[in-house]
Amino acid sequence: MTAIPKKTAIPKKAREHFRLNAVSRKTEAAFHLVLGIFALACIIPFVFVIIISFSSEDSIRRIGYSFMPQAWSLAAYEQVFRLGDALWRSYFNSFFITVVGTVISVVMCILYAYPLYRKDYKFRGFFSFLSFFTMIFGGGLIPTYIVCKDLLGMSNNYYALIVPMLVSPFYIIIMRTFFQTTVPFDLIEAATIDGSGEYTTLVRVVLPIMKPGIATVALLTALGYWNEWFLCLLYVTDRKLYPLQYLLMEMQRNAEFLARNSSMIGASGADAIRTLPSQTMRMAVVVFIVLPIACAYPFFQRYVVEGLTIGSVKG
Amino acid sequence: MKKMLALLLAAMMLLAVVPVFAEGPVEITMLLEGNNVTDDAAVLEKLNAYLAEKIGVTLKPTWGTWGNFDQLALDYVNSSRNEYDILFTCSWTSNEYAKYAKKDAYVRLDDPEDNLLEKYGADLTATLPELLFEGAKTEGIDGEKGIYAVPGFKDFATMNTWDVNVTLLEKYGYTLEDVKNAGFYGWGDIFKTVKEGEEKDGEVFYPFVFEGAVVERFVTGTPIVTGDSNSLLSYYMNTEDVSTPGAYGNVFFNKYATPEFEKFVKQMREYYLAGYIDPAIAIGETATDTWRNAQNTARYLISSEVSLYGYEYTTSEARGIQVAYLMTTDAPYIDNTSVQGAMMAISSKSEHPEEAMKFLNLLNTDPYVMTLLNYGVEGIHYTLNDAGEVEFIPEARATYSPWTNGVGNVTILPPQKGQGADFQQRFAEFYAGSKKLPIYGFTFDSKPVEIEIAAVVNVKEAYALSLCTGAVDPETALPELLAKLEAAGMQKIVDEANAQLKTFLGE
Repeated sequence: MTAIPKKTAIPKKAREHFRLNAVSRKTEAAFHLVLGIFALACIIPFVFVIIISFSSEDSIRRIGYSFMPQAWSLAAYEQVFRLGDALWRSYFNSFFITVVGTVISVVMCILYAYPLYRKDYKFRGFFSFLSFFTMIFGGGLIPTYIVCKDLLGMSNNYYALIVPMLVSPFYIIIMRTFFQTTVPFDLIEAATIDGSGEYTTLVRVVLPIMKPGIATVALLTALGYWNEWFLCLLYVTDRKLYPLQYLLMEMQRNAEFLARNSSMIGASGADAIRTLPSQTMRMAVVVFIVLPIACAYPFFQRYVVEGLTIGSVKG
Repeated sequence: MKKMLALLLAAMMLLAVVPVFAEGPVEITMLLEGNNVTDDAAVLEKLNAYLAEKIGVTLKPTWGTWGNFDQLALDYVNSSRNEYDILFTCSWTSNEYAKYAKKDAYVRLDDPEDNLLEKYGADLTATLPELLFEGAKTEGIDGEKGIYAVPGFKDFATMNTWDVNVTLLEKYGYTLEDVKNAGFYGWGDIFKTVKEGEEKDGEVFYPFVFEGAVVERFVTGTPIVTGDSNSLLSYYMNTEDVSTPGAYGNVFFNKYATPEFEKFVKQMREYYLAGYIDPAIAIGETATDTWRNAQNTARYLISSEVSLYGYEYTTSEARGIQVAYLMTTDAPYIDNTSVQGAMMAISSKSEHPEEAMKFLNLLNTDPYVMTLLNYGVEGIHYTLNDAGEVEFIPEARATYSPWTNGVGNVTILPPQKGQGADFQQRFAEFYAGSKKLPIYGFTFDSKPVEIEIAAVVNVKEAYALSLCTGAVDPETALPELLAKLEAAGMQKIVDEANAQLKTFLGE
């Protein structure tokens, strides 16, 4: 038998050489640990929600929420599907609001941010200030409510769920910064010299370079719309318009309200509690809410990472 | 630029104030509480045809739910626009009846200048018991007492009861009489037998399941003092005859400083240590769920319930056992809290208060309107069986189930399946036998001692539930609580309440 040749060890110096551009091993380990814990902290609650949604109601009654329920059950999902129309309509509403809201919002954001980036625009300062001002000073909840509902007629319609969130000064600033860092002004001059008009320049020259920036803002806006329930609480009472988030929110609020006031409402409150969605069902609805947006994430992610690294000086 | 903006804004405001001229029936808008309604088209079609012909109005309801009503009502009260002509209100929602009547949010219905009740509510005043209107009297912005909402004719008297699982009780050879005779302080033996018997198969069983926040009132015989929403005050009833003052007379006490309270918490501690009480009941977040779950799955022996007439049938059916309710007082007692439990007010911003009153009058006296609004359309939402009882069609009922008590006069509704044709007469007769508390009509105005209450509530919240469920040792916790309450200014609250009561009783 021949002796197995020893693996030739890479000299220590050479190993160091590979790591010239990296942080030290200790720092890296610490980073990994911190980020790992952070990632777990993000994922575990959701895993927990999924487990609860599959636990049997009886098990929860006996031992409370647990990673290891005494018995599994699909009852919660059966209940959710029994919601029927209410569920699918809410699903549609959520999608509709998110898609329409995101498209309009991103278009408005681009159209606002682009002139702010153009150094040759005369009222740049004024419009920058106009958007920035609303970031710091808001009208407060009640005046906003009165203006939206009484003056602009946003009640019980899709407007109310889309319009109040259309323009975000924060995203405008992000977008403008993207323009500044990715689109050299020379490019626009070159396009102008080649005979391109303003709109052609924006659509055919500038926007294609801006894809990562647009994707980032679009993702953030879409997330905002998807998770929104407060607008619905304020302006919508028609249950046909409820987005999924609010459907869940309402289940939760109903349960809490009845628990708080049970002695006031008396026996008819007890009946109401009996017909309330079970705890596992509420968790199943959470799963329904998270799934679509979680599925959309990977598609955006590439651009978001690009968007974060683009424009900076690369080593 | 600025001019343009100003012009734009001005144009928008103009658009908003241009009145819409409506021909034909007046539309009445209404905000209700506690509903589960997604499809009201069929109901409104029939209802509005009827209403338009009868009193020249149509109805546009907003079906508030338990979860969103408080927000809707507050938004409305804060907003300047007239959105609802009629609003649900009561002593426990955010648009609290007494408080907002005083803020001029509602139209005074018996205003001597323009008495809507007299003009358009004659049937109403004839149908509803006088005492309901008496209990609905509250102070307006001018400090005068008046009626600011139509009270709901429902289970208007409070019935504090022990909910007994008779099926389980009889399994161990006890009778309802045994439970009654032993009383709260003597249930130890029964609990012991049943617990030991039920735990033979190794599963934990808690015989005593209750609502920790209110059970003290059942044992010591103290009603909710209207206006004392944080349970700080005790008024001792005469549980043998609730219409006469109790042993202490008409006086309020610091709820936690009486010998009765001490005796009660010591007994609870004993039951708790013996393992008769589920520890989950002592934790605020899980208390209600635990209590209701145990009831609904029939895993309890004795529980607490603020009940109503004929409720045994409903719960026995739903839980698959025989349920009995033992009243803790000699008769249901009438206090402001129960009378003001569900009311309909006309908004002071309403442009059609007269039509609104006409509608409320009809809603509370016309069985057709009330049934349609509550149970839906016959043939679509329910069918009538041979006994004249309502049998719901589950699919349709799932899209249309308003909260009956929150709508109006429940005594003009047809009976539901199993209640018997004469249910409503029996219901009305039963509540006709209820008694008024000696302090009926008194509402504690907490405004003068607001600061003390804020401080006291924080202290109380930390102790009350765990003391009342026996989860902490009263030997150490009770003196601690009393000392802290004293330091937070409890005495001032009690003195203020007693002074107000004296003025009320005219002493």
